Amino acid sequence: MNKQTKVWLVISIALSVVLAAACGGGATNTTNAPANTESAGATAYSGSTGSVTGVISFNGAAPASRKIDTSADPACGQKSPNLTADDIVVKDGKLANTFVYVKEGTVEGGKKITDYAWSTPTTAVNLDQNGCQYKPHVLGVQVNQKLSVTNSDPTQHNVHPTPKLNPEWNQTQANGAPPIEKTFARPEVLIPVKCNQHPWMKAYVGVMRHPFFAVSGEDGTFEIKGLPPGNYTVVAWKEGGANGTEKNMQVTVPANGSAKADFAFGEGATTSLNPSLKMMPALEIPLRH
Amino acid sequence: MNKGLNRFAILVACATFFLIIAGALVTSNDAGLATEDWPLSNGQFFPEMVGNLFWEHGHRMVATTVGMLTIALLIYILAKEKRQWVRRLGVVALLAVIAQGLLGGLTVKWMLPLPVSTAHATLAQLFFCITVSIAVFTSRSWMEARPLPEDKGTLPLRYLCTTALVTIFLQLIIGATLRHSATWDQHLPTELILAHIGGALAVTVALGSTAMNVLLRYKGHSFLTRPARLALVLLVVQLLLGVAAYLTRLASPNDPQPLNPMISITVAHVACGALVFVTTIVLTLRTYRVLPATGAAMDLAARPQES
Repeated sequence: MNKQTKVWLVISIALSVVLAAACGGGATNTTNAPANTESAGATAYSGSTGSVTGVISFNGAAPASRKIDTSADPACGQKSPNLTADDIVVKDGKLANTFVYVKEGTVEGGKKITDYAWSTPTTAVNLDQNGCQYKPHVLGVQVNQKLSVTNSDPTQHNVHPTPKLNPEWNQTQANGAPPIEKTFARPEVLIPVKCNQHPWMKAYVGVMRHPFFAVSGEDGTFEIKGLPPGNYTVVAWKEGGANGTEKNMQVTVPANGSAKADFAFGEGATTSLNPSLKMMPALEIPLRH
Repeated sequence: MNKGLNRFAILVACATFFLIIAGALVTSNDAGLATEDWPLSNGQFFPEMVGNLFWEHGHRMVATTVGMLTIALLIYILAKEKRQWVRRLGVVALLAVIAQGLLGGLTVKWMLPLPVSTAHATLAQLFFCITVSIAVFTSRSWMEARPLPEDKGTLPLRYLCTTALVTIFLQLIIGATLRHSATWDQHLPTELILAHIGGALAVTVALGSTAMNVLLRYKGHSFLTRPARLALVLLVVQLLLGVAAYLTRLASPNDPQPLNPMISITVAHVACGALVFVTTIVLTLRTYRVLPATGAAMDLAARPQES
């Protein structure tokens, strides 16, 4: 084999390897390891329960709504001619789309809430693409609970969650295509979901090990039900900035009663202990103070 | 010299420049993953180009055109060009465009990993450099250039040019890394911004001093002064675009979607960076073409003392 032949052989092999890698996919940051690691021997909770209720307020003037330019996709403009950004929804001083969840806590009797096994619901949670917006804008699922993404728009979208602890995926969904059903194996608060077709479209999915979470409605209210009596750290997460802003509060939930947890964001809001700096796995890493 | 070949090489270089702009538009619009597919878009050759798919699929169409043009250029070179090293450069151009296409596919399939996206952006600049070089090597001015007797400076100009070229290339890599490290709705990493600013200072010093040296040492030799003057003008424009790009990019995370002027200014910054790079390539190649390897002072030092 002469020198020139060897050179061509090496180039051909190198190109073949790159081509094979390109065709074979091979997403980074993937893992199939089950992460819903309920500790062996963990038991289901049975006993009396209480709840946490509250209102999310927004202090100061609500940010002016920002119009979305949908000219790149006429179908969006036709269905939603006056589309505005849905990142901050304030009505009468109350803030919608705040994800409120129990971060950690001790149940009466001394056991940690994480010491119990919380079954995964069999019903899927729906995330719809409607009017070229994700609806709901913020939602929660439990680890390994199905997330069903549907497309109600007369155009195609692509659904692209960008988690840090779970595998990332990106899937195009044409109008009329069947729902995309996915699960997340690791707790993560919160996973941004974008549509690279329509860059204004965003949603956030909170993945929790337990069912103790809620999202504030348009009137700012929320309710977390079925919580065993005990002392808990309740966290409210609001979109904005690089990774959102978190505020937390200690509450004591009585048996068959309700604890109050009102949060305030915006100007001069002091409920906060500190804003979150990073995406954090729920119930696993404490907030830095 | 084959005039048709030279014109075709210029056409390929211009198409490559347009491709760089199309690629920059994909990044600025956050359209890189508008489809999960590659090489098809949503399973189609010609999908409905709405939303960000317009930018991503448009980029692929321009890239395909450039790929075809590169194949045609290689055939043209093999048919008309006698110089073996130019023929080899044509082969390198084809290999580079194939590798660039594969990197583009990888970055889509692997959802924009930073090293692959940065490599894709960097190889784009190198491919542009190759096409411009072929245009230079096949030009009349290259063929007819006559060596100048000596480099009039203490430092050989070809070394100054090479230093400027390497500095610009490193700056392009930092810029590509910076651009792909955060989407429009995220803040850029501070350390990379500082590195890019440091790189801009280094390029200003390296290219500025090189171009000034050319203008001062070789007045009247337009073969050298023309690219030097152009490089200086482009450098100033690029610095201004860099400041504007930084300011608009700083504000973009507060926007509900990628908007102008951020898109147009960041794209213009990428495009002008490419022009600075290839203008310096032209200057460097021409310097190597007409100037000796050593400077006047080195010649004197090397020359035995006459008694």
